[in-house]
This record gives sequence, structure tokens and C-alpha cells, in this order.
Amino acid sequence: MTGPDGAAGTIGRPVLWEARGVTKRYGGVVALENVDFACSAGSIHAIVGENGAGKSTLVKIMAGVVRPDAGETWLEGRPATFTGPADAAAAGISCVFQELSVLPHLSVADNIFITNPPRRWGLINVTAQRREAESLLAMLGWTDINPRLKIRDLSLSRRQIVEIAKMMARRPKILILDEATSALAAEDVGKVFNLLLRLRDKGMTIIYISHRLNEVDRLADLYSVFRNGRHVDTFAKGSRTHHQIIRLMIGRNVERLFPPRSRYVASGPPGLQIRNLNWPPRLANISLTVGCGEIVGLGGLEGQGQRELLLGLFGVLRQLRGTVEIGGQPRRIGSPAQAKSSDNRMALIPEDRKTEGLVLSLPVFENITLASLRDLTTGIWIDRKEEASRVDAIVQQLQIKVGNVAAPVGTLSGGNQQKVVLAKWLLTDPRVILLNDPTRGIDIGTKHEIYQLLRNIADEGAAILFYSTDYDELIGCCDRVLILYEGRIARELTGSDITETNIVAASLNVHSPVPAVAAGE
Amino acid sequence: MWPIRLGQSKINPPVATAFASIVVVLAIGSIFSRNFLSIGYLLQQLQVASFLGVIAAGAMVVILAGHIDLSIPWTLTIGAMTATAMAAGTPFGDAGGIVAAVLVGTIVGLVNGVGAAILRVPSMIFTLGVNAVLDGIVVLYTGGFAPRNAATRFMNRIAVGRSILDIPNAVFVWIGISLIVAFMLRRTPFGRYIYAIGNSEGSVYLSGINTRLVLIGAFIISGVGNCLGGVLLAGYAGQAYQSMGDPYLLPAIAAVVLGGTNVLGGSGTYLGTVAGVLLITLLGSMLSVMQIAEAGRQIAYGVAIVVMLLAYGRSPRRRE
Repeated sequence: MTGPDGAAGTIGRPVLWEARGVTKRYGGVVALENVDFACSAGSIHAIVGENGAGKSTLVKIMAGVVRPDAGETWLEGRPATFTGPADAAAAGISCVFQELSVLPHLSVADNIFITNPPRRWGLINVTAQRREAESLLAMLGWTDINPRLKIRDLSLSRRQIVEIAKMMARRPKILILDEATSALAAEDVGKVFNLLLRLRDKGMTIIYISHRLNEVDRLADLYSVFRNGRHVDTFAKGSRTHHQIIRLMIGRNVERLFPPRSRYVASGPPGLQIRNLNWPPRLANISLTVGCGEIVGLGGLEGQGQRELLLGLFGVLRQLRGTVEIGGQPRRIGSPAQAKSSDNRMALIPEDRKTEGLVLSLPVFENITLASLRDLTTGIWIDRKEEASRVDAIVQQLQIKVGNVAAPVGTLSGGNQQKVVLAKWLLTDPRVILLNDPTRGIDIGTKHEIYQLLRNIADEGAAILFYSTDYDELIGCCDRVLILYEGRIARELTGSDITETNIVAASLNVHSPVPAVAAGE
Repeated sequence: MWPIRLGQSKINPPVATAFASIVVVLAIGSIFSRNFLSIGYLLQQLQVASFLGVIAAGAMVVILAGHIDLSIPWTLTIGAMTATAMAAGTPFGDAGGIVAAVLVGTIVGLVNGVGAAILRVPSMIFTLGVNAVLDGIVVLYTGGFAPRNAATRFMNRIAVGRSILDIPNAVFVWIGISLIVAFMLRRTPFGRYIYAIGNSEGSVYLSGINTRLVLIGAFIISGVGNCLGGVLLAGYAGQAYQSMGDPYLLPAIAAVVLGGTNVLGGSGTYLGTVAGVLLITLLGSMLSVMQIAEAGRQIAYGVAIVVMLLAYGRSPRRRE
């Protein structure tokens, strides 16, 4: 294995930017740990890894968005720490992020020159700006984008092009593309790739982050693999197969912290059945079944439609097409209130507990009973005795660590906050439970409790659809796993096929069948 | 600094401040006028406060939910005019007049609620527009001929009459409405939803609660409060007249905010609003015994609101 040290990663060319022993933590989460990384002039350097591997943190450090907690960064042989993105841009490092930074109500030319427009007498020289934008776009190969157009009138793909043009206007030495090509339309992809190759030949360094290995192969000279905040390997194109790369991305150590599966046997109508669910452009022809007592995992890269699928089922999205059956009965669910109603008894543990799951400044007990308050009223008044006893019981059952249930829920730790969200929904006695990455940012002990809880609820007959960005969870917790790719179910994995290798391969939509990893390899 | 709605024994800092300010205002007023602390004068202040109190009760519910009702002035006026016209001009009499006022308040609240909760127009703009429309309707309605706009004897009696212990009847009306609103906020699901929506509408919506209905309900309560306030004011003035509601918009919102309700919604106690109403009323009468003109009073209201917002309005609603 080639060492991750700088010299091995640069195939003889001079090092342009280098990280030495860089560590970055967010709260208790280590995003990067003691990372050495180097990139050299005139190369396209791909960074690959799972979600949360540390790729984005690394490029954020390069681009001056965040600062490392420890370690040094060097640019052109000198230590360089940036105070912010503007500072990094001045030093020649520009980054195109997946989230666009173009302003929809301004013109293409305004956006391209937003930080440093051509001026005359202190005012923006609009004519010169338009001319320069035109020639820049022509140089990049998009003569058909009119610099006078407003961004909001362009397609998503074209907005991405403008974003790239905006960064090119700063004449960077290092151009970072963080998942920046995922929104490109097919006809733009080829042009962007040709552009990147041309820029490389002129001596620019391009850092390219993508989950699509097939695309990376067309571009990259070098690969660096990250896993769990560490730089595990750097190698030249062609020296590793896709399967070897995927194995590097996954690593070997898998902790066993999951409850044993029950033998799921389908009986009676399924708890949840979906046929041909469509919500263009994010969901395409999704059909799936979740039996009563079954935990079905949803996997795939982030943003492949998992969030939309769960929200759609819960009645949040408008103009969703397709049929949804609950307990064998066809249902139309137009709002979360309908989804919760006694006919459907669905529950959604949303993505962001702070803004979607909880009312942070209200007391713990009010959050716990928020969804089931209707069952706690006698006449028009809330039955406060009944409320207190139900809250006590569920706090005991889930072992929520809370001193005083009248304290604001925002004062609890993340794990306990998530337990409050679960408690809120358990009090509604749901039979279909949708979970959107419920263990994100939660300590391992609480995770374990949540897995056990989900298994218990399933054993009592609930149908659970469980989206997770954590592959271990999908493998350890789920009876079946469905992998979404660009709004479709790319693959269904069952039983012993639920392996990290298969999940990652399906997530990347690598079409060739992945052989099972031999034991001990 | 958390508003303590459930630890019943404690009073939160803004409410304590409001009550302390009332004491200060009483002290200053008594320097300028020996009558200021007399029972008779204070009862009279309480009567005037009742009109504002009824309006502020509704305004508070909307503010708690994170919205604002700026249609107070003309909702109040149109409520008063409908009540007087109905009571005097139809066989339904006083009962008909009050039912009509409640009905008008409900309709205005429904329109405001639909605009803010369903059409999603910012309530600050939408209710201001509704206020202008109501203004126009009143002008149309009264433009050609003079409607029967004199208050009935019953209206006059509930506004200025005194029955028990020489306490003005209007005070009992205020107490009654206060009890309804306070219990509704603390003891019903609707009240819980109001606070929760004011903090995080998204979380409440995703908890399977029909947040639109709750918001529409809040605006209806405000509309009805405004119209009932209008009936009381008509009884007090002896008639309903154009622009009668204009002097009440700022004081009503000021009373809610001075009482410690977060102007962006989500926290506040009803007791605070009561304190705010008393404070605003006494502040006004203090300024008048100090012989400060109306202009000065307006400046004082404005300054009081700004100072209070500086003291309490900037504290974050959410603890991360």
C-alpha cells in the first residue's frame, strides 16, 4: 500500500498545497484526524470516500471555510492559514460547492463578478462586466449563456456552469469541485470534463470530489481515499480496481451493536405498500412494500430522493402521484395530520430534530405530548394528570435522561432530544414508522438503545421504513435494504447480500455485479 | 431567562418589571395629582383599561402564534357600527347587536387567518390591507346616509355602568374574557399549539397538527376581541364613529409586548398582558395629569415599546 505521505501522492510534480497532521473536530465528532495530504500542480486529484469520511471538511479547510484544530497547511512551500474564503481566493484557491452560491435575482454577469466587478470611477462598469463575462463564458465553452440573463431563468445545470465560471473569474491556481458536477445535465458534463482536462494541461490543480467512480475514472490522475476522517491511501489512476477502491472506502472494522433480527415472516396485508410513486424530478416510479414487523432500510448517497420519499409518504409533498396502501387499504394522505390520523397511524422521525422534530424552547413534557394531545383531553381541557402519567411512563421506558420534564427540551443532549422525538410518536401508537436518519450525531450508547427500541416496535407489529446514511445501521438493523439512486430504487438487498460492499456499489450505481468479499481478505 | 408558564409560583422577569413599572407610574402620578391614588380615580382607570384589555387579549393570541394583527382599528370600528346599527335598527335588539359584532369579528378574523395561514402572505402586510379595506367599507356604508350609530342603553351600561361594589361593569367583562383566554392558553390543546407554532411551526406541522386551522383560530379570536372592544367603546362614547379605533392599535400591541410576550411569538404569559394593559393605561393618565399633550403621549408610548424591546425582545427564543 502506498503511504499517504505527500511525496508518494504527487508523482514527481512539485507540491502546491499540503496538509500536515491536520485534525478537525465538530463537537465530539472527529471529522479529520491527523491527516497528511498533498496535491501538485497540473493534476486532477480525486478524493473519494463514504459520507462523513472527511472529504468535505478537507476541502473546506483548503478553501478557508473552516480552520483546522491542529496541524499545518502549506501553500507553495510556505505555511498558509486562511482567515476566510476571500483570503483563500486571494491566495489562488477557489471552491465550487454542491450547494450553489449564485444569487437567483442577479444576472449571470453580476454573479460572475460579484466579489470584484470591473469598475470605472468607483462604480461598477456594467458594459465592461458584460463583455468580460461574455469572453469568459466563451473561453470556457458556453457561448450560449447570455450574461444578461437572470440566474433564476437558467436551468440547474446552467447555474452550476455559472458557478464554475464565477470561480474561474478569480483565476485560481487550485480549483476545488465538491460534488459540483452532480447537478449537470448530460450535455454539459462532457463539456465540463473537457474544460477541466484543458485547465489541467495549462497547469491548474483540480481537486475533484464525486461519488461517481465512473466519472472520476474519466478525469482523475490521482485518487486519495478517505475513511472516518483519515487519509487511507493515495494512488495513481488505474492502479486499483473499483472493488479495491470500494473496500478501501469501507475499511474492515464493523462494530456489532445491533439487536438480533427476528425471523420476519410475512403474514396478512403489508403495513405499507407503495406502487409507482412519482414526484418529478426527485422520485421516479418507486414501488416498495414494508411488512408488519419488518424493518426496511433505505440507503444510497445523500440526496437521492430518500428525504422526499419519506416526506411524500407523510403527506408533505404536493402533487405526488402513485398509490399508497396501509394495511391493505388504499389511502390518500394529503397532510401530516392525515398521516397521523387513526385511519393511517403513521409517524415520521424527521431529519433535523432541532427544527422539524422539536419545539426547542418548550418543556420536555409538552414536546412529548404534542402529537397525542387530542387523546389527552377530557372535554376541551387537557387532562394534566393523565398527561403527567403518560410522560412519566414513556420517559421511564425510553430512559430519557431528564432532570425535570418542565425544562426546555433544548437543554437536553442530542441523544435525549432524539429520544423525546421518538417518545412523542410512540404515544400516538403508530403502525407505520418512517425514520429519516434518526441517529445522526448521536452517541453510540443511545444509538444502541434506539436500535433495540426499533426492533421491539417492529416485533409488536409496526412497519418501519428506516433511511440511514450509516451503512453499519442498514446492515445491522434492517431486514431488507433498498438503495436509491437518482430517485429510483437501484437495488434491493436481502439477507446475506446486505454487505457494505454491495451497498456502496449500489449507491455508486456501479453496474457490474460485485462479488462477495472473501472472508479474511 | 425562561418564561415560566408551568412553574406556577414564579413570575417571569418581564412581568415583574411591568408590575414594578406600574408602581413607579403610580408614584410619579401621585406627585402631580393628589387624586391619582384615590379609589375613585383608580376604578375609573380600570374601566378605561378594560377596553384596551379586551382588545389586547386577542392581539396577544395572534402575537404568541408568531403573527400580528394590524387590522385592529377598523375591525373595532366596523364591529361597533354593526352592533349599534343592528341593536337599534332591527328587532333583534341588544342581543342581536352583540351577536352581529361577534359574527363580524369572526369573518374579519377568518379573512386574516386565510391570508396569513393559507395564502401565506406575511400577516403584517395582509392585516394592514384588510384594515384599509374595512376602512373603505365603512366609508361606503356611512357615506350616503347616516346610519343609526348611537349606542344603546345596554351598551352604555356595560361600558360605563357600575353594579357591584361600585366597580365598573366593563371590568367584569374584561375579567370574563381574560379568564377564557388565560385558561384556553394554558389548559387546552389549542393553547399549546399556539405557543408551539410561535416557536417552530415546522415541528408542529410535522407532528401532524393542522397548523392552518390553529392560526385561523388565533386570528378569529383577535377579530372577535376587537369587535367586542368596539362595542364597549361605543357604549363608553355613546356612539360608534369613524376612526374610533385608531388610537388603539399601538397601545394594544404595546401592552402585549410590555407584558413580556415575545413580539416574534412563542412565549409570554397572559398575566403579563394584563400588567401591560394597566401600565399603558396608567402611563397615559400619568402623562395627562402631568399636562403633557397627546403628541407627548405618543412619543412616550413609542419610547416605552422600544425600551422594552431592547430589554427583552432580543433574547433568543431558542436555546441551541
